[in-house]
Amino acid sequence: MLKIEVTLISGRTSQQGAGLEVGKTSEEYFRSTSYVELNASDAEKLGVGDGQPVGVTTPHGSVVVSARTSQGLDPGMAFFPYGPWANQVFGTDTGGTGMPSYKGIRATVEPAAGKAIPTLTELVERLRGGT
Amino acid sequence: MMTVYTDVVCPFCGCLCDDLEVTVEDGEIAGVKNACAVSRSKFMNHGENRIETTTVDGKAVDYEEAVKAAAKILATARRPLVYGLSSTECVAIGKAVELAELVGGVVDNTSSVCHGPTILALQQVGESKTTLGEVKNRADLIVFWGSNPTEAHLRHIIRYSAMPKGMYTPEGRKSRYVVAVDVRETRMARVADEFLKVEPGKDFELLLVLRAAVRGAEVQADQVAGISKEQIKALAGRMKAAKMGIIFFGLGLTQSDGRHMNIDAAVGLVTELNHHTKFLLTPMRGHYNVAGANTVTTWQTGYPYAVDFARGYPRYNPGEYTSVDLLAKGEADAALIIASDPGATFPADAAKRLAKIPVVTLDQKVTPTTMLSKVVIPVATAGVEAEGTAYRMDGVPLRLKKVVEPHGGIRSDAEVLEMIIERVRALKEGS
Repeated sequence: MLKIEVTLISGRTSQQGAGLEVGKTSEEYFRSTSYVELNASDAEKLGVGDGQPVGVTTPHGSVVVSARTSQGLDPGMAFFPYGPWANQVFGTDTGGTGMPSYKGIRATVEPAAGKAIPTLTELVERLRGGT
Repeated sequence: MMTVYTDVVCPFCGCLCDDLEVTVEDGEIAGVKNACAVSRSKFMNHGENRIETTTVDGKAVDYEEAVKAAAKILATARRPLVYGLSSTECVAIGKAVELAELVGGVVDNTSSVCHGPTILALQQVGESKTTLGEVKNRADLIVFWGSNPTEAHLRHIIRYSAMPKGMYTPEGRKSRYVVAVDVRETRMARVADEFLKVEPGKDFELLLVLRAAVRGAEVQADQVAGISKEQIKALAGRMKAAKMGIIFFGLGLTQSDGRHMNIDAAVGLVTELNHHTKFLLTPMRGHYNVAGANTVTTWQTGYPYAVDFARGYPRYNPGEYTSVDLLAKGEADAALIIASDPGATFPADAAKRLAKIPVVTLDQKVTPTTMLSKVVIPVATAGVEAEGTAYRMDGVPLRLKKVVEPHGGIRSDAEVLEMIIERVRALKEGS
């Protein structure tokens, strides 16, 4: 299976900020948080274009989101907007500081053709222990 | 009827822009001027996706019933967690601390997942502080390190740092040299005069080598953390030659490897620079009143976050009494969440605990946390539907305005917390 290894960081975007102020259940919030940005050459390696589904996996979890290409990222880097989709793959170890590693963890990204991006309600079900 | 409110303070990010103009027509917000995209979204959409009614176990109940259920959960829990607070006003934060003390719980705020590591470092090594007004009037060298105001603090560079014309910076942007340090080329990197693309996880090394270069040490390696020796030497020289410089640092330093040690290194660089010129640093605080959450919690307990009242007196230990740790270890057996959404913002393995324990949430909108909560109490939006005080990222307190009546006659965070406190007191006296 085609997959690449990346260094994954998460962060705020203005769309995510504006989306959460419409509401976490809004379409704006879904669109602004359920994607991962990749360098264009990495996306090409995976054969995925803007908006196509990819699976992001770390030892802590896995999630399907859409891909976006970014000019600002070096090959081997990926960016996830803050939110519940990103938090499927970040771990809880805080190294005794209270702060999880939200930036700079290793992850794999692979094409996920045919797989659906979970909705917010489905992510909440996952937290409840469903699948 | 139309009313125009001027000098309205924006309750979104730590910039607390205080020049907004909000037009209210027939009790509804009709327009907002001077606001950034996020602020506009907050004011214009404040009525969207609101929690419709007070609920217990998903069933609509009145305030009194919900308060009773909330008080019972908190009063009978062995290790209740009170969390959030950074997007509400200071009186509510004070009430939350009082309630945590009353139930012998832990009170923590969102700084545990944003600038908590900054606080840890500054408690060790101190800080050179200033106000954003001083920056506007004097700073001729501005460094954004691991921070991206073009996405997170949209008017920062326009109002406070890179762009404004000040007393000793009469030409605004032309009077200043702006540097961005980041692991990726953000919009901020493109508008800066100089961009240093640091390798991920190597900020600490770059801060240390810059400090050494400022001190006059010869940099021997050709490059450090992806930055050439020449660029390091040139930047060190430029920093020493500035009349007043400042580092605005963000979560690029606190959420990556090294965490508080990165901030320790940044303070070390600033300390070194103060042998040559005036140099300062300021954390780019995210939630509009996270600085207030730290301030109020400190003046009431002595500590800024991660405060445990289990023994009846406050104890402080980030890493142990911080929310992600308490939830991930399964320690918290009940939670009160105020103005925050840990169900969405915490790593899933910590958020999962919220699905297993009784949770009481005070918020405006439907969120993953309210979906997981046993008791949900809708509250007024501070700074839109309720007044109060908030602290800007530089520690300056500003007064939030109430521009419209609360949605559906609901109460403020402070009022609801006071009701819960009274009910918990009654339960404790009755037992």
